[in-house]
Amino acid sequence: MNNIVSIDKVAKVFRVGDEDFTALHEISLDIEPGAFMSFVGPSGSGKTTLLNLIGGLDQPTSGSVFFKNVKLGELNRTALAEYRRKNLGFIFQTYNLLPVYSVYENILFPLLLDGNKESAVRRSVLDMVDSVGLSDQIKKRPSQLSGGQCQRVAIARALVKKPELILADEPTANLDAENSFQILELMRELNKQFKAAFIFSTHDEKVTKYVNREVGLEDGRVCWDKRRNGSGSFE
Amino acid sequence: MIRWVLQGILRDKNRSLFPFLVVTAGVALVVFTFGFMEGIFMGMIDSTANLDTGHLRLVNKPFYDEEHLNPMDRALTGQNETRNWLIANSDPKIKWAPRIRWGAIADVPDENGETRSQTPIIGMALDLLSPDSRELERLDLKNSLLDGRLPEAAKEILLGYELARTLDVELEQTITLLGQTFDGGLATDNYTVVGFVRFGVFAMDKKMALIDLADAQDSFYMEDTVTDWLGFLPSHVAYKDYKNFKVALQSRLSDLILHPPKDWAKDDIPIVMSVLDQRNLDNLVNVFEMIKKIFVGIIVLLMVLVLWNAGLLNGIHRYGELGLLLAMGQTHAKLVWLLGIEAFAIGVLGALAGSLIGGGVVYYLQEVGINMGDAFAQTGMMMNDVMRGRVTAESFLLGAGPGIIASVLGSLFASVALFQRSEANLFRELEAG
Ligand SMILES: Nc1ncnc2c1ncn2[C@@H]1O[C@H](COP(=O)(O)OP(=O)(O)OP(=O)(O)O)[C@@H](O)[C@H]1O
Ligand SMILES: [Mg+2]
Repeated sequence: MNNIVSIDKVAKVFRVGDEDFTALHEISLDIEPGAFMSFVGPSGSGKTTLLNLIGGLDQPTSGSVFFKNVKLGELNRTALAEYRRKNLGFIFQTYNLLPVYSVYENILFPLLLDGNKESAVRRSVLDMVDSVGLSDQIKKRPSQLSGGQCQRVAIARALVKKPELILADEPTANLDAENSFQILELMRELNKQFKAAFIFSTHDEKVTKYVNREVGLEDGRVCWDKRRNGSGSFE
Repeated sequence: MIRWVLQGILRDKNRSLFPFLVVTAGVALVVFTFGFMEGIFMGMIDSTANLDTGHLRLVNKPFYDEEHLNPMDRALTGQNETRNWLIANSDPKIKWAPRIRWGAIADVPDENGETRSQTPIIGMALDLLSPDSRELERLDLKNSLLDGRLPEAAKEILLGYELARTLDVELEQTITLLGQTFDGGLATDNYTVVGFVRFGVFAMDKKMALIDLADAQDSFYMEDTVTDWLGFLPSHVAYKDYKNFKVALQSRLSDLILHPPKDWAKDDIPIVMSVLDQRNLDNLVNVFEMIKKIFVGIIVLLMVLVLWNAGLLNGIHRYGELGLLLAMGQTHAKLVWLLGIEAFAIGVLGALAGSLIGGGVVYYLQEVGINMGDAFAQTGMMMNDVMRGRVTAESFLLGAGPGIIASVLGSLFASVALFQRSEANLFRELEAG
């Protein structure tokens, strides 16, 4: 088993009032290293719930999530935090940059959290800024950037630690078509360059054109799981 | 990381300004109030010391035991020998001054030499005439003189202004003091009234007269003899330290008892006290210290409450940011630690600013003072007209320390809420933006 993520008969039941609501019904999925894939489906189909489980932010009601053979359910809170710190990058619909810090500092931040000295990592931060094409915005604050630029900063921030897995919940939902394409293009390049696996959740059909694999969710069930074949079309 | 946090604080004025101002205000209040109270309190102690007890006092125990009767026959002779011993055996910071407490009947004659009025007075004799005497400054006589002048020649007397009114005397009039000699006989001597003094203490204004030390020794046959040796410390010495000077001197006393000046009586036993041992001042010190503690306690409590709330608001304001940190793999504990560092930094900055402001005002009071004029004259406290503050290290510590602690505590209380926050909803919360 050399998948980066394995989801094994995972169910998630939420208790709402006196009733149980099943958001995910015994889903099983394997995700290979370096994947570039999306969860698609209507609102409420369970996309975010599934990303939460993979990100170690929530625990399944039954079944298990493995990250490279480590069962997340066996990690305590601190170990889960460390798991996220070491292995994951997050990208959000609303960017969630730190408003008082510059582009450079926002991208530097995860490295500081990990205990690095600024001087030791300056080079890799600058390279990362370059990779997302923001070298001339480096001193600006998020409020001075466009949405597309903000999302680039967020991507750089997610990637700067060279994690093996990036989780992106609706990364293009707040962007116009033009910016969405650019962001997807950028992520695809970075996926190749850094070999990090990207998992999106999205409503956005534009995403379909870019991903190599698309998992369709509906009412907490996997309805389809399509991969791009050699000729570039899904099967 | 700490530099990072500091940068954030400095840039995000919204989130740091309010807690900063709270700490600044609290610390300034504590530093100012303490400095002010210390100033008044020290002013009181100094007045008492200067007028009456010295910061330290060497006195014969038999005299002290019956002090209210002015048993001048139990005064200490060997003035020069005693002075030399004191200078050799006490801290050089202490300046010693000999005084005589005396009691007498003051008799004011009319034109025919018959008694017009008579009243018992208590008096202090001190060196008023030597050019190098500091006693005039200690009693602030130049400023306390309501009318007349300071003594310039022998056998001139200053009267408390209420006393002068009771006796119905005029300036430059001669009055007669009827007292006891050193050996119990009757002493009478004539003095010229040259000035009326307001001491600022009703009891003294009503009963007190001042004459020169040499005159007293002559009038009461007390050659080479004084009742008190008063030791004065520079005003920067805190009252808490008086005890150390006292104990140091006490430990040398056995030497004085074993090798006394040659004219001392066999049963003369010198004792040393500080001003706090007299006039019930030690009680006042205790009350004062307690008030200080309660006051700091209240201010800290208020600051904690306000900062706790500020911290909660701050937490809401920065919900996204803190959630992001959790998502990025920050542990809850580390997050609280970060907020603690932030609060500490704000506390330090606020404490600095507060100390500067509070200390600045107190420093102004200390150096310049506010003239309260007559406001205190009626209070009966031994207090100067000019209200002064006092800059002490203690008031800074008591202000700044709790300011920083309050800031950190407030933030920690607020971040308890963080601990309850689950990661599971982070995506949803963050999406909500
Ligand atoms: N904490 C929760 N408590 C109760 N119900 C929840 C909770 N989280 C999610 N759900 C429910 O689970 C279902 C799946 O939610 P989820 O957020 O995963 O959907 P989604 O596919 O991400 O939808 P969207 O496209 O709108 O983001 C929804 O019906 C939602 O109401
Ligand atoms: Mg969602």
